[in-house]
Amino acid sequence: MDKETMIAELVKMVGRDNVLSSAMYFKLYEYDASLNRSQPDCIVLTESTEQVAQVVKFAHANRIPLIARGTGTNLSGGSVAVQGGISLVLTKMNKILDLDIENQRVVVQPGIITLDLKNELAKHGYLYQPDPASEKVTTIGGNFGENAGGPHCLKYGVTSNHVLGAEVVLDNGEVIRVGGKALDNPGFDLLGILGASEGTLGIVTEATLRIVPKAEAIKTMLCIFDSIEDGGNTVTAIIGEGMIPATLEMMDNLTIKAVEEAYHVGFPLDAAAILIVELDGLKDGMDRLTERILAICRQHKVREIRVAKDQAERDKIWAGRKGAFGAVGRLRPNYLVNDGTVPRTRLPETLAKVVEIGKKYRLPIANVFHAGDGNLHPLILFDERDKDELARVHAAATEIMEVCAAMGGTISGEHGIGLEKMHGMAMVFSEKDMAAMRQVKAAFDPLNLLNPGKVLPESEKAA
Amino acid sequence: MSEMELVSKLSGIVGETNVLHDPDRLSAFAVDGVVPRAVVSPGSVEEVAKLMAFATAEKLGIIPRGNGTKMGAGGIPRKLDVVLSMLRINRITEHDVPNLSLSVQTGLTLAEVQKKLAATGKGSFLPLDPPYTDKATIGGIIATNGSGPRRYLYNTARDLLLGIKAVLPSGDIVAFGGRTVKNVSGYDMTKLLVGSWGALGVITEITTKLLPLPEASATLLTSFDDLAKAVALTRKVLHSVLLPSAMELLDGKAAARIGEQGRYLVAFSLEGVVEAVERQLGEIGEMATREGAVATKTLKADDDRTFWVGIRDFALAADSAVILRANFPIAKLAELLALYEKAAQAAGIECAFIGHAGNGILHCYSADAAKTGAFAELIGQFTAEAAKREGNLVVEAAPRSLKEKVSVWGQPRSDTVVARRLKEKIDPAGVLTPGRFVGGI
Ligand SMILES: Cc1cc2nc3c(=O)[nH]c(=O)nc-3n(C[C@H](O)[C@H](O)[C@H](O)COP(=O)(O)OP(=O)(O)OC[C@H]3O[C@@H](n4cnc5c(N)ncnc54)[C@H](O)[C@@H]3O)c2cc1C
Repeated sequence: MDKETMIAELVKMVGRDNVLSSAMYFKLYEYDASLNRSQPDCIVLTESTEQVAQVVKFAHANRIPLIARGTGTNLSGGSVAVQGGISLVLTKMNKILDLDIENQRVVVQPGIITLDLKNELAKHGYLYQPDPASEKVTTIGGNFGENAGGPHCLKYGVTSNHVLGAEVVLDNGEVIRVGGKALDNPGFDLLGILGASEGTLGIVTEATLRIVPKAEAIKTMLCIFDSIEDGGNTVTAIIGEGMIPATLEMMDNLTIKAVEEAYHVGFPLDAAAILIVELDGLKDGMDRLTERILAICRQHKVREIRVAKDQAERDKIWAGRKGAFGAVGRLRPNYLVNDGTVPRTRLPETLAKVVEIGKKYRLPIANVFHAGDGNLHPLILFDERDKDELARVHAAATEIMEVCAAMGGTISGEHGIGLEKMHGMAMVFSEKDMAAMRQVKAAFDPLNLLNPGKVLPESEKAA
Repeated sequence: MSEMELVSKLSGIVGETNVLHDPDRLSAFAVDGVVPRAVVSPGSVEEVAKLMAFATAEKLGIIPRGNGTKMGAGGIPRKLDVVLSMLRINRITEHDVPNLSLSVQTGLTLAEVQKKLAATGKGSFLPLDPPYTDKATIGGIIATNGSGPRRYLYNTARDLLLGIKAVLPSGDIVAFGGRTVKNVSGYDMTKLLVGSWGALGVITEITTKLLPLPEASATLLTSFDDLAKAVALTRKVLHSVLLPSAMELLDGKAAARIGEQGRYLVAFSLEGVVEAVERQLGEIGEMATREGAVATKTLKADDDRTFWVGIRDFALAADSAVILRANFPIAKLAELLALYEKAAQAAGIECAFIGHAGNGILHCYSADAAKTGAFAELIGQFTAEAAKREGNLVVEAAPRSLKEKVSVWGQPRSDTVVARRLKEKIDPAGVLTPGRFVGGI
C-alpha cells in the first residue's frame, strides 16, 4: 500500500490530528533512548481501545508492521521502527479508569506516566511499587513492555509482579482480557509472557495493577566507601546475614562526581563508592536492623554513614540516584548503558572485569548498579561522531555481556533485548531455547507484524 | 502399537525395571478412571527427552506425575497411554547459599527441600505452602501453581521463580530464565510454564529465590459469631500498615474439623523480627476485640506450626472428595461466602469453607460427592456468582461422575483463543495431558 492511501485510511480511523507524517515528526519518532534510529512510515496516536483495534486490524489486513510506543525511553531499541510501518503511540491513552482501593487494584490506560499514577495513589496513602529511575517520563505500557525494574525491586519485584490483568489487542485486532482484578485466573499465564515482550506479542490497551498501603516506616542510609570492593562485599554480607532491605543501590566515583556536579546533593567527590540502603516496613525492630547493617558496613571499612533524618534528606539521596544517568550523560555527547545481571555474590568480581574492559577499549565507564539484584549498569561514555570510538563502544558492550553470561548471569536485567542485545541472546540461550520462544511469537503473531525484528534473532537455519 | 511393543520401546529408553505395566498395579495410576497402558519412571532429563520425542512420533497421550496429589483436578483425559513419573528426577543441583537461590529437580518433595534449606547455613526457606505438605513434589506444585495461606505476604511461584528447565513435546530440552533475581532476556517462558498443568512441557528443574528464615513467628486466632464482623477485621488489617504473612477465614465447620472454636475463625500468621511479631499480636488482638471477636488465642512454636499444616492439608483431614476454589476481587469475600453458605444449605450439601481473606480466594471442601445432580447445580451457581464479580471457579477435585456434569475450569475466558494457538504450536501432536486443561486443551 502506498503511503498516501495508508495515511488517508488512518485519518479516517483516528482523525487528522492523530496522524503525524511530516519529516519533523519522522525525526522525532525515529529514536528511543538507545543508539538505534530508523523512521516509521507513519505515526498514529490512538485515544481508545476501539481505535487501537481498528488500526491493528488495518495493519494486519495490509501486512504493515506496527510498533507500539509509550514515551520511547527504553534503552534497547524497543520502540524503533526498524522495518518502517506504523508507530502506534499510546501516550494519549493516559487515564486512570478505576481506582479501586477496596480491592487494592488500579485500572489504567497504558499511556499514563508512572509517576503521575504514583502521585495520584499517594493522595490515598497507596503505592504502586515498581520505581524505574525514569518514572517521571515513562508509561505503564512501556514499563510492562520491558518489565522495568528499579531500586525497590530487590524487595518488591519488578513490573510483572505488579501487573495482574490487561486488555490486549491481538495481531488481528481481536481484543482479549488476560488476568484481572482477581488472582489465579484459570489458563496459561499469558500475562506473564506478555511482560517484557516488548510489543512483539500484542498491544496492551489497559492494565490492572496491584497497589498496597504505604509502609509505616522507612530508613534510608547513605554509606560511603573508599573502595568499590568493600561496597560490593557489604552488599553480599547484608544478604548473607539474612536481611533483605528494600534497596541496595551503588554508584562509583565517576558517577558520584557527575551527580554531585549536576545536583549538589552532598555526595563526597573523592568517594570510591556510595551504597544506598533503605529499609521499610513496620517501625518495630527497624532500629535494631539498622544497627546490624551499620555494623556490617563498619566491618567492611565504611568511611562514613549518613542516616537520613527526614523526608527532605531522603529525597535528596534519591534525587542523586535517580538522576544518575542524566548526570553522567552530561560528561560526553553519548552514553550506552549496559544492563548485565549476575548472581549478586559475583558482583565485585564482575565489576573488576568491567573496569578492565574499559581500560582495554580506552573508554570511560561510569557504574551505577542495583547491587542487591546483581544488576549492573555500566555507562560507557563516548562521542558517536568518532566512528572508531563507536566501534570500540559496541565491542566493549558485547564483552561486558559475555562476562555477565560467563558469571552465570544474563545479558539484560531490566532494559530489554530490543535491537541492541539481540546478538547476545545466543550467549545465554541455546538454539532450542530460542526456537521455543519463536513458537510463542508465531502463536501470537503468525505474520510477524508486531514490532518485527526485535528480541529474537533470526534462527541459525534461516540466517 | 501393541502393548508388548509399547513396553519394549519404553523399556529401551528407561530400562525394564522402570516400566510398570502389570494391569493390577496400573489402576492405581488411573486419571478419572482412565487407566494408562504403562507408567514409566525416567532417571534423567535425557530419558524424559527421549520419551517425549517417542510420544510425539507415536501420538501417545502422556500425563506427567509427581506424587499424584492433584490428579483429581482438570478435565477428563481424552487419551492416556503413559503416566510419566518424575519421582526419580529428584536432585538438588545447586544451592547458592549467599545468593539465596536454589536449583532443584522437580521430583523432590517440597518437604524434603525445606528440611535441607533450614539445616544449611543460617537457614532459609522456599516461601510456598501449598496443600499436601509431605507429599507434594516441586514439579506438581509448579505445574499447578500451587499456593497456600502465606501467599498473602510472599506471593506465588510466578513471583518467586528465577528460571525453569523443561522438556517440550518435541523432545527438546530447554532452559529459560536463570539464577539472577532480575532477567528480561527473551520471553518470560518461566511464567508461561508455571501453572500450565503439564500441557506445554514436562518441567524438570526450577531455580527459585529463597528467603532467610524469619527470626520469630506466631499465630493469632480470633473467633466471631458473625461473618460480617470477621471479614471487617480482615479488611481493617488489609488496609493497615500491618504485614501478617497469612490471613485465613474459616467457617464453623472448617474450624471445628481442625479442633478450633467459633462460627467464624480468622487466623493470622505473623513472621519477621521479634518486635514486629509481638506488636502485631497485640495490635490485631485489640482490633479483633473492637470488631466484636468472642475469643482470641495466641499459638506459638509447635502449636503455631501444626495449625498451619492443618489448614494446608485440610482436604486430607476432611476426606474431601470435592474441592472447589473460587477466585474474585478481595472485597467480595463476605458477600460470596454468605451466598455460598446459603446455596449449599438449600442444596442439602455439607460444605466447609476456608478462604485466603487477603487474596480473594475461597476453598469449599465437601464429602457429599454422591449427590451428583444437586452438587453439579450448586457448582454452576457458585461459578456464576463468582463470574458475576469478575471472578471464576475451578473444580480442584471431584469424582468423574460429577466432572461430567460441570465445567471444571469455570466460565470460559476470552484469552482461550491464544492458549489454543500456543498449544497447537508447542504440542502439535497433542501428546501432553490431552483434554485436561482449560478449554479442553
Ligand atoms: C534516564 C533513564 C533512566 C532509566 N531508568 C530505568 C530504571 O531504573 N529501570 C528500568 O527498568 N528502566 C529504566 N529506563 C528504561 C526505560 O525508561 C524503561 O524501559 C521504560 O519502561 C520504557 O517505557 P516507555 O514508556 O518509554 O516505553 P517505550 O520505550 O516507548 O517502549 C518500550 C517497549 O514497550 C513496548 N510498548 C510500549 N507500550 C506498549 C503497549 N501499550 N503495549 C505493548 N507494548 C508496548 C514498545 O514497543 C517497546 O518495545 C531508563 C531510561 C532512561 C532514559
